[in-house]
Amino acid sequence: MTVFYPRLAFDGIRKNKKMYIPYILTCILSSAMYYILKYLCYSKTIKQIPKTETVISVIAFGCLVIAIFSAIFLFYTNSFLIKSRKKEFGLYNILGMDKTKVGRVLFFETLFVAVISILSGILFGIIFSKLCELILLNLIETDISFNLTVSSKAIFNTATVFTAIFLALYIYSYIGIRISKPLELVKSESFGEKPPRANFVFGILGFVLLGVAYYIAITIKNPIEALTWFFVAVVLVILGTYLVFVAGSVMLCKILQKNKKYYYKKNHFVSVSSMTYRMKRNGAGLASICVLLTMVLVMISSTSCLFFGREDGLRSRYPRDIAVKVNFEKPVLLSDSAVEKLETEVKKVCKENNIDIKKAWNYRDSSVTGLLTEDGKIDIDSSHASVKDFNKLITVHIMPLSDYQKMTGDNTTLREGEAIAYATLKTKLPNKITVGNKTVKIVKRLKNLDVEGSSTTEVVANCFIIVPNVNYLVENISSLLDPLGEIMVVNSWCYGFDTTANEKMQIKATGEIGDVMLDATSELNAFSYSIDCLSSERNDFAGTFGGFFFLGIMLSVLFLVVAVIIIYYKQISEGFEDASRFDIMQKVGMTKKDIKKSINSQMLTVFFLPIIFAVVHLAFAFPLIRKLLLLFGLNNLSLFIFTTCLSALVFTLFYLAVYKLTSNLYFSIVSNNKYPLD
Amino acid sequence: MSLLEVNSLKKVYKTRLGGNSVEALKCVDFSVEEGEYVAVMGESGSGKTTLLNILAAIDKPTAGSVLLNGTDFSKIKDSLISTFRRDNLGFVFQDFNLLDTFSLEDNIFLPLVLKGMSYKEMKPKIEPIAERLGITSLLKKYPYEVSGGQKQRAAVARALITEPKIILADEPTGALDSKATDELLNLFGDINKNGQTILMVTHSVKAASHASRVMFIKDGEVFHQLYKGGNTTEEFYQRISETLTLLAGGKSV
Repeated sequence: MTVFYPRLAFDGIRKNKKMYIPYILTCILSSAMYYILKYLCYSKTIKQIPKTETVISVIAFGCLVIAIFSAIFLFYTNSFLIKSRKKEFGLYNILGMDKTKVGRVLFFETLFVAVISILSGILFGIIFSKLCELILLNLIETDISFNLTVSSKAIFNTATVFTAIFLALYIYSYIGIRISKPLELVKSESFGEKPPRANFVFGILGFVLLGVAYYIAITIKNPIEALTWFFVAVVLVILGTYLVFVAGSVMLCKILQKNKKYYYKKNHFVSVSSMTYRMKRNGAGLASICVLLTMVLVMISSTSCLFFGREDGLRSRYPRDIAVKVNFEKPVLLSDSAVEKLETEVKKVCKENNIDIKKAWNYRDSSVTGLLTEDGKIDIDSSHASVKDFNKLITVHIMPLSDYQKMTGDNTTLREGEAIAYATLKTKLPNKITVGNKTVKIVKRLKNLDVEGSSTTEVVANCFIIVPNVNYLVENISSLLDPLGEIMVVNSWCYGFDTTANEKMQIKATGEIGDVMLDATSELNAFSYSIDCLSSERNDFAGTFGGFFFLGIMLSVLFLVVAVIIIYYKQISEGFEDASRFDIMQKVGMTKKDIKKSINSQMLTVFFLPIIFAVVHLAFAFPLIRKLLLLFGLNNLSLFIFTTCLSALVFTLFYLAVYKLTSNLYFSIVSNNKYPLD
Repeated sequence: MSLLEVNSLKKVYKTRLGGNSVEALKCVDFSVEEGEYVAVMGESGSGKTTLLNILAAIDKPTAGSVLLNGTDFSKIKDSLISTFRRDNLGFVFQDFNLLDTFSLEDNIFLPLVLKGMSYKEMKPKIEPIAERLGITSLLKKYPYEVSGGQKQRAAVARALITEPKIILADEPTGALDSKATDELLNLFGDINKNGQTILMVTHSVKAASHASRVMFIKDGEVFHQLYKGGNTTEEFYQRISETLTLLAGGKSV
């Protein structure tokens, strides 16, 4: 008697393998993926590598996403399974098996599926974890080792999380069986379906939400706004997509049906009315596919862009291979002799290390951040500023004319009260700029200025004002303190250069420059200094962006598989429902050719609606994502266009392949049932 | 020339691996005149359904021929068979075969739409038929909202709207209660009186007793025929019952 229930459960799975196999495969995949990510989090190999904390925290976040997502998705597919099994359970019930015992069958079924998927998930996880580790290490550009390790902590973690999910699934389905009547169970597949009703409110609302989201995405001007509005736009797009697919599509079909001339045409009649039902039944599923595809596209296009464009990001963050900045409290401390001393020290170290100096910049800069008002006043009292004022935020750099002339060779002369100006981010500078209580008149505007902070990827606008006497502007504000007690005007000596020396030499020289600066700056009463070396930051960039890209790939694979599985289940259940319908149509006088044509047009619409919407979403998200990429210092438009188009293309092709495979399955189901001889 | 001529029809089913073969129809010969109302009776497995499928051009005979108005079914190209069926044959099924995605009206329009008729041409056609079948008020409803009898009347309307040469009915009363059965049989009687040829396959003596001629099929052959002649429906019912009793006993009539 004890083997009876497990046996019944096992037979149930075996007989419904068309339904169960994809389900079990998804379970295996998600647990394997969860294990792999957990394994990477705990991996000693990765922890040993310097500066991988970001990668690890990015991956830990990915673990969480996978756990939540698996739970949602397994619930969704489980509902398909339970629906197809209800008849059987109802029969057991009528044959005298009470619901507790039916629950026992269900328990063993869940147990089998859970054991199979968790065990093989972990097994596959272990097998592929090394491969993923190698890929990740390769992406973050570090040396790799080849010993396979198994993380018991990750195994335990995976087992716990997925056992919890399966337990929840069991309880959920058991309650479902518990509360339904046996007759309902037997009949549950053939419940009379009400004709879909167009819900104009929701339908229109869906389009409006999408419109608003698109509007936000297009009109966002600066990256910080993009960051805050990004999530609003995402939520709007998700809601809008669901509403459009569920209500909007039915609404459109109904409008077409109202148009008698259009509707009562051989090519439209059957297709439009079937589409109405199809969309009613599948709207939510298709919307999910669409949202998943959009996520995948956004993720892959942006993370790959970040990864492949990391050199650009690096370059815009560090415009020179080596850059030194020494900060002083008062502009007077930055005398010509002080500058000369610092410069000689740096050059001496370079000479000792055989570092050549190219494209050097060498200037003094007094900078202060404030709000640019319309009349040209820089308001440096930040106490009343809010996020809304972000667009007005500007950092003003005041540079002595002599340094400018020396650096650029431009011989423009200026009188007291006159200035040369350059501003980034298309900032419109008025003709007069007021800092503190002194005003300068702009007599010349530059199109370009190659100094630090002039990069177009900067989030906050920068403006450079070149004046004959820096003190004239700075004197009256140089002692101001911000609410935290820090001085507001920073007077710096900026020195930076490119070099042809190799990376190791650069890093070594950077360290030595740091050593000499320690003495030199304290001698000169500087309050701080910094030395940036692009080469030593390269790994960090590769690590972060490589980590993102890796996670992007992992999540994309999962999301894609899930989208495929949803499509698969849709096709199967649709196939069975449509088989009898096409049988009737043929009896009424529709030719096989007409039927095939009608099926094809419906399938194409149903299938390609999600990918078309996803690509449109991606197109509108493009400007928004571009702004976000600017936050990472990435301004390579053509690279981003390339990765976006490429990912859209690749996924459309992939989708096409899935369509081909599953629609064959659908056709075989539909035609198998044609004219069953009784 | 008769409207429908069936000559030495034979149908053999083979199992897929070619092992057993089953002879569903041995040799069936009969003809139906225009305006006739013929019922075909027989037990399960007697070959009724096979016969009907062949008459409906859904299935092909192993040997023999079917001629409708002189057109041999086997001479019609496969690509035109659906069109031929749509233009010449009307179907009424036991389980109605209405499409649940269409309202009753659209279900009735379906063959006309497939024919390529415009809404303007179709609209006047449905009104008199719906009136006659008493479903005018139900036209906007969906199949799941109406009773079995009402569904069957809609199915009859769908069969009638193309003005077919012959209506083929497969157990049309099989899924109806006795009241709906009576209504449907009276309806068939009415449309037959208006000149519509009907061929009905049925188990039900009651249904058969409304026909003008009953053919009995046994073991793949036409075993016996009864003509109503001057009989009332009740008398005819009696005669059919007696014949069925004899049939079941295995004696010759």
